[in-house]
Amino acid sequence: MSSDVQPKDVGSGPTHQPYARDLAVGDELPAAVRNASRTQLFLYSAATWNPHRIHYDVDYARFEGHPDVIVHGPLQGAWLTQYVTDWMGPRGRLVHAGWQNRASGLPEQDLTFRGRITAIDRGQVTLEVWEEAPDGRVLMPGRAVVELPVHPS
Amino acid sequence: MSDLVPPEARALVGKELSAPVTAVITAKESQRYAQAVGDLNPLYFDEAYAQEAGYRTITCPPTFLDHVVVEGRPLGDLREDGLFRQPDGPSLGLRRVMFGGQEWDWLAPVHVGDTITATKRLGAIDEKSGGKGPFVLVTWETTFTNQEGDVVARSRLQGISR
Repeated sequence: MSSDVQPKDVGSGPTHQPYARDLAVGDELPAAVRNASRTQLFLYSAATWNPHRIHYDVDYARFEGHPDVIVHGPLQGAWLTQYVTDWMGPRGRLVHAGWQNRASGLPEQDLTFRGRITAIDRGQVTLEVWEEAPDGRVLMPGRAVVELPVHPS
Repeated sequence: MSDLVPPEARALVGKELSAPVTAVITAKESQRYAQAVGDLNPLYFDEAYAQEAGYRTITCPPTFLDHVVVEGRPLGDLREDGLFRQPDGPSLGLRRVMFGGQEWDWLAPVHVGDTITATKRLGAIDEKSGGKGPFVLVTWETTFTNQEGDVVARSRLQGISR
């Protein structure tokens, strides 16, 4: 990508290969911002054969008590997973990810993904990762474990 | 003991409520999913890149395993909220369903062209109380195996019904 501005409907993709020997507990991952259009929500519903009306029918979503249509929980989970796979580089291997959808994300809203390293055991790196709403509330806390090459070989 | 969870539903905990589902991971479906997520990682699109990274061929987004085994259903099976009726699922009589979270363990590489079989059991039904009143947490445990019989992933998915 030639521009410094990251489009928010697509993640960065892997940009480099981190090595475990260069990392330390407490290191923070660069934040990533995602912002879903209503069209993206529709396309995700279609690609996953998910007809749940709370993701495309505003009137029905409000009937269920939501302020607007809401971003699919599994889509936010896929973004959290992608946040980790983008960071871990092509030779990283994702072995675990878990998250809790505590509150809903909305379309046309900047949703920020952050993470930090909580443990390193040779090539196995444990991360605390989470998604924040524009006001800083944590919408989705999570954890991931990746296997990284220890050093270039 | 519980207002929201009838004993018939509780009796289903630990059981497989539907037959295992088998599906082949195709590049088209995997890549449509990746594009809808906004995940254009070359590992999912570029064979040479994937091989350079140690894969046999292109792989798929880790979370796609859940979706490749979703089977088509006729429109007549739709409920008012747009979800499909689950003839084999626990009947809770609750209207609003939300996704609550998920935990994944990935145990072996997955490639486009693999045949994946998902075996799902009802892991737990727990009644909880929250700020918006009582709700029921339903946990589904799924094991994904490939054509060699290797377990490639396990998932624990939580749905919220209220």
